[in-house]
Amino acid sequence: MTLEDVRKILDAEFIACGELLHRDVKTACGSDLMSDVLAFVKPEGLLLTGLTNPQVVRTAEMADLGAVCFVRGKKPDKQTIKLAEAKNIPMLTTPLSMFESCGRLYRDGVVSCFECGK
Amino acid sequence: MGSQVKLTELVRGLKLSVRSADGDLEREVTGGYASDLLSDVLANSEPGNLWITLQIHKNIVAVASMKDLAGIILVNGREPEQDTIEKAEAENIAIMVTEMPTFELVGRLYGLGITGTK
Amino acid sequence: MTAENKISKVQELVYEIRVGDVMKKNVITVGPQDRMSEFGKILREKRISGTPVVDQGRLMGVISIDDFIRWLAERQEDCPVERKMTKNVRTLYADEPAVQAVNKFDQLGFGRFVVIDRRDEKLVGIITKGDIIEGLLKKLEVDYYDEQTNHRTIQSFFDDVLADKAALFFQYSVTGHDFNKAGETASRIKTTLKRLGIAPQIVRRVAIATYEAEMNLIIYTEGGEIRVRVEPHKILVRVEDSGPGIPDIEKALQPGYSTAPEWVRELGFGAGMGLQNIRKCTSKMGLMSVVGKGTQLRMNISLDDGVASETN
Repeated sequence: MTLEDVRKILDAEFIACGELLHRDVKTACGSDLMSDVLAFVKPEGLLLTGLTNPQVVRTAEMADLGAVCFVRGKKPDKQTIKLAEAKNIPMLTTPLSMFESCGRLYRDGVVSCFECGK
Repeated sequence: MGSQVKLTELVRGLKLSVRSADGDLEREVTGGYASDLLSDVLANSEPGNLWITLQIHKNIVAVASMKDLAGIILVNGREPEQDTIEKAEAENIAIMVTEMPTFELVGRLYGLGITGTK
Repeated sequence: MTAENKISKVQELVYEIRVGDVMKKNVITVGPQDRMSEFGKILREKRISGTPVVDQGRLMGVISIDDFIRWLAERQEDCPVERKMTKNVRTLYADEPAVQAVNKFDQLGFGRFVVIDRRDEKLVGIITKGDIIEGLLKKLEVDYYDEQTNHRTIQSFFDDVLADKAALFFQYSVTGHDFNKAGETASRIKTTLKRLGIAPQIVRRVAIATYEAEMNLIIYTEGGEIRVRVEPHKILVRVEDSGPGIPDIEKALQPGYSTAPEWVRELGFGAGMGLQNIRKCTSKMGLMSVVGKGTQLRMNISLDDGVASETN
């Protein structure tokens, strides 16, 4: 599926790099602990998170993530959005909870991008 | 969704390991809440929710107790700290663990009829 | 500009310049079915010592003046060059950094390499050590047209690369407690390594490890220095601060152990995974700390085992 499909499934909207709506999304993870994302996530996945600080964008940048979607209608500040634009990291925001978002994407065929923790 | 799901059915269906309060698994689950931020769970979870998290320190028990949650599932192979288990036994909060990451566990819970609060 | 600056510019260039930038493109070739007698004529007329053997753009082997002399000496009948050529030719890709070429020249003792395109494996050129030096000189003239370029400096640098001593240094200061800026240094390092043509999976590992280290500086210290040293076969990162130090290193290395305050946890860090993460991303890691004095973290990321762990 593409980011545009994710947007529809999660009733979400783009808040950064909306032009990358055709980017492929095969895997995803849900986490509010960036160290866990850095440790276990494989490149190109979609990160669902309730955190909105600039470290989310930095984490996406360092770990080569494909996109970030904020849950519960959260939106980062302008600085963070600018940073995401500069680093070419698409960001979306959905009114749904983390649970509902993970549930719907899993139902529609997205798989986990976490390598199991050792 | 008709009849509600009990913790015992989830433990069996998803092969969860129970780490505390295993005598109290008849509780019905009203929905799921996935978050690694205690403040978020305090603010937004509903009574009877099943909480999915990576956090393992004993504060999770306090939060679950305060919000009257149905139980806690620790993901990604995380084990609760000893004082977390002791506190959970004392407060009668069921803690379960799984090797699955949040995304996958939530996806499978969703498939069993548990949805996000909103 | 000081001599030191100039050296570092040359050092940077040898990582920046690609084999394809400095190779000779108009290569004389022969086909596998061409006769040895024709090959002899080409050697004489073009005054060359060998050519690649190419079939429809694809490299089949190389044939040299030595092969020709051996054929003459054995007084054998005329035959296609493919019967006398060397197969299994060591090649370079056009998009490899020149520093790789310098290393291979040294390791294998060859005077020249055939250069092929990574995508279709077709022959695109030939490169010698001289081509690399010439390319460096040209590039320096473009960059510093008003400077007198010192040929000797480059030659001695070239010797350094061969002796495996060539390295690039980058140094960054990190301010403590400035959470909003956390990651800026790791981001700069990532950009630089990418520009140097380091493999993406290696860049990712260095970026993640440096980011975690930077985060530790910001959460626990008043700030510190991150030094990165890029060598032909490894990347070394040294992170130093001047306090407060770690009382129990063994404990600090346990997964999940953390002394981070709740506000750090609420920001998504401080779950006791940082050092684990650094260990996971590096080939070697060393941690030294003196309470009240400071902490030094050393990381070593091998550039050679990147290929094996392509999926990480």
